[in-house]
Amino acid sequence: MLRDRLYDGLKDMEEVYVNGDLEHRIAGNLNISFNFVEGESLIMALRDLAVSSGSACTSASLEPSYVLRALGRNDELAHSSIRFTIGRFTTLEEIDYTIELVRAAVEKLRELSPLWDMYKDGIDLNSVEWVAH
Amino acid sequence: MAYSEKVLDHYENPRNVGVLEDDQSVGTGMVGAPACGDVMKLQIKVGDDGIIQDAKFKTYGCGSAIASSSLVTEWVKGKSLDEAAEIKNTQIAQELALPPVKIHCSVLAEDAIAAAIDNYREKNQ
Repeated sequence: MLRDRLYDGLKDMEEVYVNGDLEHRIAGNLNISFNFVEGESLIMALRDLAVSSGSACTSASLEPSYVLRALGRNDELAHSSIRFTIGRFTTLEEIDYTIELVRAAVEKLRELSPLWDMYKDGIDLNSVEWVAH
Repeated sequence: MAYSEKVLDHYENPRNVGVLEDDQSVGTGMVGAPACGDVMKLQIKVGDDGIIQDAKFKTYGCGSAIASSSLVTEWVKGKSLDEAAEIKNTQIAQELALPPVKIHCSVLAEDAIAAAIDNYREKNQ
């Protein structure tokens, strides 16, 4: 299945989380969080693809998806989510192209991310006193 | 959402990404929160003459947040601390043509400058 091929091409990356259950889900859907990479910035890097951050119902909002929150994801991972939907006409080549594009974009954005640096330094982000805004 | 040319340029070619080695001459500001979807870290290196010689940033956030922080690293260089503190979010928003929903990104960038200056001044009282 193309969805599984997409997930297989991404799952060995560090700090990747599938949102929702892999068995009990719509066949062509993969909603996935790349920790320390903000979803909208990832979408910008994937301009050749039609993807969405969060779930379909919240893509126009800046708030993290309440569906992902209800699934037990914290705000950070909900902000770092992206949704791929595979269509009837999606090809194998397009999936492989997507895998390459996503891997490169996540790597680039993690190089930009202060949270990635902190994670690599072994800092527990929950122990930091953030200034909410 | 349509992004301005300048936001796209800063997003694709971010200026001054990185980390300055921490010492007495470096001020570091980190603002925002992961739970809110953006965190900016801005560092300034101040010379003996009180002029900002170098600036680096790292940002977790949307393209507009990345562009705002990239832009201010360019703007603060060569300025005194007082001059840098005068940079206003409205200038950042105007330069990048940010839509209303992204104004908070420019506010965060202004806050990051203030936090970096505060940190430097605390270290060098």
